[in-house]
Amino acid sequence: MILPINNIKNSINFSADSNPKDKKTLEYDHDTLLPNNPYTYTRIGMDKLTNAFTLYPAKGLKGSKNANFYEFLTMGTVPYLIGSAGLMAVFNLANRFFSPFDKVQASKTGQKMALGVLFYGIAKSLSKQLISRPVNMLTGVDTDRPYAKVIYELPDNINDTDITSIEYHKVFESVEFPRWDLLYGDETKGQKRNYRYDKIAKKLNMGKNLNDSDQETKPRIKEIIVKSSLAKSISSYMWAATGVALAFQQPWEDYFKAMTFKFWKPQEFLKSLNVFGNSFVRSAKNLYKGEGNGVTKHAGKILLGLAVLSSVLGVVNTVAGARKSPKSSDIIKPNEKHVVS
Amino acid sequence: MTSNLIQNYISTRPTGVINQQTVKKQETPKKPMPDFDIQRELDNRTFIKPLEGKGRLLKGNIFNAPAIMVKDMVYDAKALKHAVSGKANDHELGKLNDFGLFLGGLAIAGYLFTRKQTPMTKGMEFVGLASFLGAMAIWPKIAIQLPAYLIHGVNVQKEYEDSFGRKKPFYQDPQFLPWDLYSEKEIDKMGDRMGVPKDIPNRREFIQEKMKKIGIQNNTLWMLTAGFATPIMSGLICNLAEPYLNRYLDNRNNKAADKILTNLDNYSQKYKNTSLEQDLIKILDANQNKPLTKELEESITSILTRYMDPVTAESFKADLREAAFGKETYKIQDNNVTEIIKNLKEVFKKVPDADEEFLKAVIPDEKSIIDALKGNGTFGKDIKSVEFSSVLDAIKKLVKNNAIAYNNAHPDKQKDINFIRKLVMQNMTKDKNSNPVKIVLAKAGSKILDNNIIGKLKKVVKLIDNFNMKQFALDEYALKKVGAAPETVIANYWNDVSKDLMKTLGFTSEEIKKTRSDRKLMGAVLREKIEHVVSDKNSYNKVMERLVKKIAEINSKIKTSDMSTPLLSSNSASSAYDTIVDSLFDGFAAKLRDPDIGFERTAKAIAGVDRNDVVGTAKELQKTYVRDRLLGVKSSFYRIINTLDMYRRIASDVNSIPALEGKYIEVKEELIELCKIITLEGHSSDHATKFYMMRNPEPDRTMGPVEVKNGKVVNKFFGKTAELTDIPGDKFFYQDAMRLMYEGNMHPDTMQVLKESSIKNEILKYRDMVLEKLGGEEYFVKPRHLIRKANTTGSDTKFLLTGIAPDELIFKTGQQLYNNKKWLKIFGGFGAALLGVTVAAQFFFGKMKTPARTGEKK
Repeated sequence: MILPINNIKNSINFSADSNPKDKKTLEYDHDTLLPNNPYTYTRIGMDKLTNAFTLYPAKGLKGSKNANFYEFLTMGTVPYLIGSAGLMAVFNLANRFFSPFDKVQASKTGQKMALGVLFYGIAKSLSKQLISRPVNMLTGVDTDRPYAKVIYELPDNINDTDITSIEYHKVFESVEFPRWDLLYGDETKGQKRNYRYDKIAKKLNMGKNLNDSDQETKPRIKEIIVKSSLAKSISSYMWAATGVALAFQQPWEDYFKAMTFKFWKPQEFLKSLNVFGNSFVRSAKNLYKGEGNGVTKHAGKILLGLAVLSSVLGVVNTVAGARKSPKSSDIIKPNEKHVVS
Repeated sequence: MTSNLIQNYISTRPTGVINQQTVKKQETPKKPMPDFDIQRELDNRTFIKPLEGKGRLLKGNIFNAPAIMVKDMVYDAKALKHAVSGKANDHELGKLNDFGLFLGGLAIAGYLFTRKQTPMTKGMEFVGLASFLGAMAIWPKIAIQLPAYLIHGVNVQKEYEDSFGRKKPFYQDPQFLPWDLYSEKEIDKMGDRMGVPKDIPNRREFIQEKMKKIGIQNNTLWMLTAGFATPIMSGLICNLAEPYLNRYLDNRNNKAADKILTNLDNYSQKYKNTSLEQDLIKILDANQNKPLTKELEESITSILTRYMDPVTAESFKADLREAAFGKETYKIQDNNVTEIIKNLKEVFKKVPDADEEFLKAVIPDEKSIIDALKGNGTFGKDIKSVEFSSVLDAIKKLVKNNAIAYNNAHPDKQKDINFIRKLVMQNMTKDKNSNPVKIVLAKAGSKILDNNIIGKLKKVVKLIDNFNMKQFALDEYALKKVGAAPETVIANYWNDVSKDLMKTLGFTSEEIKKTRSDRKLMGAVLREKIEHVVSDKNSYNKVMERLVKKIAEINSKIKTSDMSTPLLSSNSASSAYDTIVDSLFDGFAAKLRDPDIGFERTAKAIAGVDRNDVVGTAKELQKTYVRDRLLGVKSSFYRIINTLDMYRRIASDVNSIPALEGKYIEVKEELIELCKIITLEGHSSDHATKFYMMRNPEPDRTMGPVEVKNGKVVNKFFGKTAELTDIPGDKFFYQDAMRLMYEGNMHPDTMQVLKESSIKNEILKYRDMVLEKLGGEEYFVKPRHLIRKANTTGSDTKFLLTGIAPDELIFKTGQQLYNNKKWLKIFGGFGAALLGVTVAAQFFFGKMKTPARTGEKK
């Protein structure tokens, strides 16, 4: 029989030496639901980033038998970050060898491109909140809820006692296999078993004190996961494109002249930040107002409008579907008998 | 509450104590399978066998790629549909992320497309997107998949389709590899390729482990290298694609331009939206039979002159005033008088202690004002603005008399008469035209926008619209062909010839790198190159042939029959462009001169008094722009041909050049050196100042031949004297220099190459023109330094004839080439090294200890 992982106590030791000092102290001994807050996200982000650049490549290059899909996906951060830096370099690195006039002209484009890469990443990442937060607020489903997963690996050799590792996933990262189990309350701690599902049911207008709120809400939660995932996929890239467009506005050239990252020179650094803010505001206005005529003039507005629209439509499509009243045929009437034919 | 059929079933299951209680069914639905017993099926689950797997390995090749692409697109579209309705699966959602990435990329390219000005830069935005997405896809194919296959015989990017039709990479999840999709034969074949011994136990498992290891290692290598490779590859793809896109767009642009000229009438319809008629008619309709005020006149004028150049617009405004609006007249009526009284009340409030009684007494009433104005003949009749003073004087007199009467009647409330008089004369506000009386009169214009004026204006606007549409089309043609903008036909030609020139003369990357920051250094290398080329007949012919062929492309890109440079043409026939311009402008002018319209000044500004009157007319400007642009470019390149020719004449047979005959060796050497410098570096200012050169005032009197070796003069005297000075009185030296550079026959080798070329006559004419225009230029310091009759050719023509100095052209082109090469060197080098490391790393992949062979001792 395959036991659920949380039934196994962490007392496994395959080595002859059971010196407790050598035992790895595990942060989690079973799959654990984590709070969705900036601290957790930063911690998870740092952990994944560090592993993506160190542990996972080392395992992968050795062809470790424990290498898995999670590690492969996490390593996707490596080309994303290096590629961003590479893109910045491609547009800037050679400029310093050019003649002064060419250098100035090439640097203008290069610096805007570098800023565009930065804004692309930031806008893409932050804009997902424009979907997940309203969806959470209106449906009670936290599509970004993280959890720590304890993995038991195969030992590399007879002395290998370190056979556990932690992966960070999201409860709803798979629509086919959401971790429903993690959302149940712990009755030993006095929590109601379905209290999380009750909340969702209430938000979804499905009623209070349902006998099986978990079973009732699961199909709708799945729908929410799919729709919000679609919304995030589309809108995040539209916002990323808006970020790039913002970076290509002329006022940034003022910032590039004052730009410094030497925070140990407070006066210059503060001035630089100040100019950044100023350039940001003016660039945003420029993007909105546009220049020239026809489509050229309104291109910024159109792009911004599409980004806003993709977020709004994404949320509306997710929430409206989830909060709709059930069809009369779906409702089990207590006084009627039902049969499976 | 939604129904849950399983729960419902469990609650009604007829087993166990709880469910012993029977429930009377109210109805018994018909069962489609009466013998089907769900309980029995569930209790005997071991008999339920899994369905046969439908997964398969995908075999993609160049032939089925389009079909796969279409299938993938259909899958993505279905995925989108499913996701919108909330029914997509994980695989479909993953696909939609790629769709979002593509959509976002299109949005970026689309936005930047609108921000770019030229077709090339616009096109490159989409090339950039395609190259980036392409690089992401190509890198794992060429740097991971191909080497791994060649080294190990394993396709690490293999894809399979699972039983649900979902396409996935085979090695995506090392913990779940669908090995059953590979047949025994396929696995064995790969094992053989990897050198796995045939007689080991569990050979298939071992091969699979090895393949898995190679798969994991390559996936990791892919993740580690893609970040570096994608932007670099993308940049390299863009670099490669740019010349092709440029050539395509240049061709397209040129053909589009040609169509404009051959189809001007139809093409000009494109500019229908520039029509002024609608705007004008709106104003005319709104003000029909209303006073034609200054503001209205200005509105009408601003519409009609919207697209006119300032010079023509001034003439047009004058015509409009005289021939359309007519002279300004005003008519004073009762309501104007009331308004004047109101203004006077306002200004008299400034009089100290001005009470109602005073105001009533001093301000004349309507009747007395009307009587006074009737008295001087200004009331109710058309008057001119010069008569405003009479009106003002009459009112001032009335006020003064009233004020005197008031003072007489009120000895205790005496008012200052002068102050009151000044108030009438002064302006009410800071505006200089705000006199209380004149401000009212100015609004009393008596001209009416009657049907006569409206009729004339409608005729004029139709003429202007028709003219404008065609002129805009001609402007577009001229811009596409020779405009002073990037990516015009002539700009592309210029870049093409310049780059080719560097190659033709054999500039190496190292030479460009070392001399790129100093024009003098690059000029010196250029001179070396030319002297080397001209020293040998074969090399000269080769270079000259290539150069002439390249330069002559101008006449196929911009046919002389379409656009000509009369200064370089021996043919007096007008080009098609000039003919159309003449016809359009002359026709427009003739219609403006029509007695019905009578816009004589405008007609003159547009086409002159007659065909010979060309100075400053709009027609001439339209033609001159094109001629000047062509002349500047052609002169620059013809100058290079002439320069090479002169160097060749010196290198091959210097002592038979007529310009050098009968001179001391030192003077010959000075002349040759000056001409070599001027042809390579000279500007029009050097011609204007008649060549300043530090020479020996007392040259050595040795006569004899000049020695030339490897294209260079072996100077016996030149440069060996310390006391050097310019000799402003030596006009012969200037004349000989001009002869050496531009007069007499070109070298036979040059003529042989030019013989069949379309630019031969233009080059010969170019040399003549330089002698005539530049050699006939007067310089007050050296008045006799002339080689042709003194003339007054404008400095712009002389500037264009001189063209760009070859060393300057090479210097600029060299810098551009250096920038490109430097970029390629940095990133191309890095990319090559990355590819090398990525490939090399794969030789170390898949290493595993082979198990002992069957029967072998462990």
